[in-house]
Amino acid sequence: MARLIDKKLSRRRFLGTSSCALAVATVGSQTTVLKALASSGKVTTSQGAGTKDVFTSCGMCVNKCGVIARVRDGRIHKLDPNPEFIKSRGMLCARGNAGVKVIYDADRLKYPLIRVGKRGEGKWRRASWDEALDLVAKNMNEIAEKYTRAGVMFASTEGTFQEHFFLQMAECYGSPNTVRHPSLCLTSNIQGFGATYGTNPTPDVLNADYIIMSGSNRSEALITPDSIDQLKGDGGRRKLVYLDPRFTKTAAKANEWYPIKPGTDMAFILAMINVIVGEGLSAKEFVEERTVGFDKLVPHVKPYTPEWAAKECEIPAADIRRIAREFAAAAPKAVYYQGRRSSFFDNDTQMRRAMAILNAIIGNWDTEGGMVPNSKIKLAKHDYLAPWYDDVPERLDKGSAVFLSEKDGSWANFRDRVLEAKPYPVKGMMIYKQNVLVSVPNRAKTLKMMDQMDFICTIDIAMSDTAWYSDVVLPEATYLERQDPLESLAGILPVVAFRQPCVEAMFESKPNLWIMQNLAKRLGSEVAETFDFTMDEHIHHQVSKNPRILKDLKTKGVHYMKVLPTYGLTTGKRLKTKTGKIEIYSANYAKKGLDPLPVYTRHEDVPANKFRLLVGRSAFFTHGTTANNAYLHDIMPENTLWLNTLSAKKMGLRHGQMVKVKSKVGEGTLKLEVTEKIRPDCVYMAHGFGVISKGQSLIFGRGASDAALIEEKVEPISGNIAMHQTFVEISPA
Amino acid sequence: MKNKRFAMVLDTRRCIDCKACTVACKAENDVPLGPENYRNWVGEEKLRGKYPNLGQSNTPCQCQHCGNPPCAHVCPTKATEVNSDGIVHVVADKCIGCKYCMTACPYNARYYNEETEAVDKCTFCTQRIYAGRLPACVETCPTKVRVFGDLNDPNSEVSKLLTKYPSRVLKESQGTKPYLIYII
Repeated sequence: MARLIDKKLSRRRFLGTSSCALAVATVGSQTTVLKALASSGKVTTSQGAGTKDVFTSCGMCVNKCGVIARVRDGRIHKLDPNPEFIKSRGMLCARGNAGVKVIYDADRLKYPLIRVGKRGEGKWRRASWDEALDLVAKNMNEIAEKYTRAGVMFASTEGTFQEHFFLQMAECYGSPNTVRHPSLCLTSNIQGFGATYGTNPTPDVLNADYIIMSGSNRSEALITPDSIDQLKGDGGRRKLVYLDPRFTKTAAKANEWYPIKPGTDMAFILAMINVIVGEGLSAKEFVEERTVGFDKLVPHVKPYTPEWAAKECEIPAADIRRIAREFAAAAPKAVYYQGRRSSFFDNDTQMRRAMAILNAIIGNWDTEGGMVPNSKIKLAKHDYLAPWYDDVPERLDKGSAVFLSEKDGSWANFRDRVLEAKPYPVKGMMIYKQNVLVSVPNRAKTLKMMDQMDFICTIDIAMSDTAWYSDVVLPEATYLERQDPLESLAGILPVVAFRQPCVEAMFESKPNLWIMQNLAKRLGSEVAETFDFTMDEHIHHQVSKNPRILKDLKTKGVHYMKVLPTYGLTTGKRLKTKTGKIEIYSANYAKKGLDPLPVYTRHEDVPANKFRLLVGRSAFFTHGTTANNAYLHDIMPENTLWLNTLSAKKMGLRHGQMVKVKSKVGEGTLKLEVTEKIRPDCVYMAHGFGVISKGQSLIFGRGASDAALIEEKVEPISGNIAMHQTFVEISPA
Repeated sequence: MKNKRFAMVLDTRRCIDCKACTVACKAENDVPLGPENYRNWVGEEKLRGKYPNLGQSNTPCQCQHCGNPPCAHVCPTKATEVNSDGIVHVVADKCIGCKYCMTACPYNARYYNEETEAVDKCTFCTQRIYAGRLPACVETCPTKVRVFGDLNDPNSEVSKLLTKYPSRVLKESQGTKPYLIYII
């Protein structure tokens, strides 16, 4: 068995386990990108046992970039980008490169653990897989007996390639209560664009001449290929207008930056529509043919003049008018970039609707440089026959939002209902890698929810805060040690990615499929039967209709069908909306009692002596999962509180001093960063610090947790959380 | 065969300060952990202006592989060598850790590696480039700020970029003749 040795002794000599048993596809030859340099040297691939190059996919964030793992003497030495992986334009970011410290991390979970002290006390004993899984199954059965099978909730991360086995477990065990990441992120975005286009399209950043970004920091919240494409050309073959209360690294690359007043983006958008409609700049033919409700939009936006909007969003009317004209002039190669995360305010779905409508009226739908519907490469679906239980009620959070996703739910609403035990009690928690204590706002409330659970089991690779508060912790193999099913990644240029073990799984960590299969065996034959397949069988079934996919994956680490986008595939076809057209006016919303056209709503202003707390990504961290990575920790060891220079001066606070931040639901202490880069009425801190788990040894005791501070306002249409409606007080610590 | 003159041309307009280069380099070259240990880094230039009129640029930096390297001149044991293709490198076995070179380098490009007990710095990833691959920082860079190649070859991408664009080097007045060249 491999052991982690003190890093000083071992960095160069670290030996992983022996090379893995599964046949892995290795990198045969370097690609043309690299050949350019090969004149004086030779291309090397294999130097003997335990030394090989393995194609796989990054697992550090949602993008899943193509990776070549350089395995040397049985140890992963380096993760390099796969130049064939067109979706990420052949790059690998800081996190992707830091993946070696995920596998070789002294803090990683090594064995199944059973809690022996109080919850959260951090006292554990090592258990065998048999004992741990017996205990999990026993608790799941007891809860089913006592409260019905809906009494166990299944909280899951997304994008691990093995998540669907966890969701399959939930379904086959018989619980409707799965709660997932989207309601903490992008459900309002999906809802707003979905209601308009029947889908959430991708902005063709590479080919757009004019891009407006608001609520999306693409130089730090990296999304492939957009983050790369926004820097196209010689650093500026496009115009980027960027709206953000912070001067981010995207702002530094923008042609124009406006520190917009948070929560007023809709005013800016409606005023742009007002100008485009009022000055007759819309794409008339397109609007006539492909949309419904433009006639109702015209009078609707009349009051939303740039002069009115300027008072709301604090962007001068002349600039709004000019930007609207420029945007229409650049059409159809112009996009109002909707971004991904939309958990900002409790009117976010309507704000996204306004964005979708603005894009629609300039006719950028499904054209080069416009908003393009995603393509996806088809893989055969894994079917199973879930057992039927007749006593299982509907989702706990049913009806808590107008359009609630059956699979994702609404985290905040779900938690409230658990605490009220209405309409029924939920007493068991199965968690697959979702770090709920860091990801779900109002940490104190999540802790309260966990306190009332009879049983909590977490599957993870690290002792997250959530694992720390569990009763049983099961160690999953990391993404570099697993064979995963193939994953079809949608986009303008869709690809299929895969993952194969680069080295054998260390310690007693196991892939999620193995964990689910062995848990299923203990839950009865009906559940076990649905898991009666091997990973190999699963993969071969996925490609049963197109074996070339697997061949491509083995020879170049990625499968794709085209390298140039195809536009206009929806021309002459019905969209997936009720009318088959782009719905500027939504009759469906009207029927549900919602505003059929987006109506501006004003949010509460920042009270005197308080600040609005902003959240936002950095390019070094993914949610609450990577701050404890040794390489990334070197870059950013703790988070700070950004405060504008003028505000700091007024309060007599100085750069670098410790401050206490307090909201209605929690508090935290961290270092003050006095900066010009933020609005004077806002403060900001990076996510993922202020942890409570001592199993995160590098960051424990460092910085503050935004989840502890944020109040959980909820967007009523989609059930998405609203993270920018918390006001905090600051005082010297 | 004619020697090469390896160089790196950087387009900082594309740099988003994502630190991919720094982490890639650390992993590739077994640079010890610790925020003071690095062979390359991204410098945030001074913020220009006052809120809300701001501007900022980034300068990725590392050993400049100078044509006239002060580090080599001051080394008492001749541990710093320049190879035939212009790569300045430290022979770890010859290094006595006196750190004169660290003081002499105007770019602060060197650090002391406790594990090898020698001063360490960028080598343009010799282990990669002589195997026909790109330096780790160049290959991984998301926005392709960095271009690596041979200035003795007029058809190389670096040569072509320097013909096409005006460029500058850092601390030119020091007379070090650096081969990290920044497009203006």
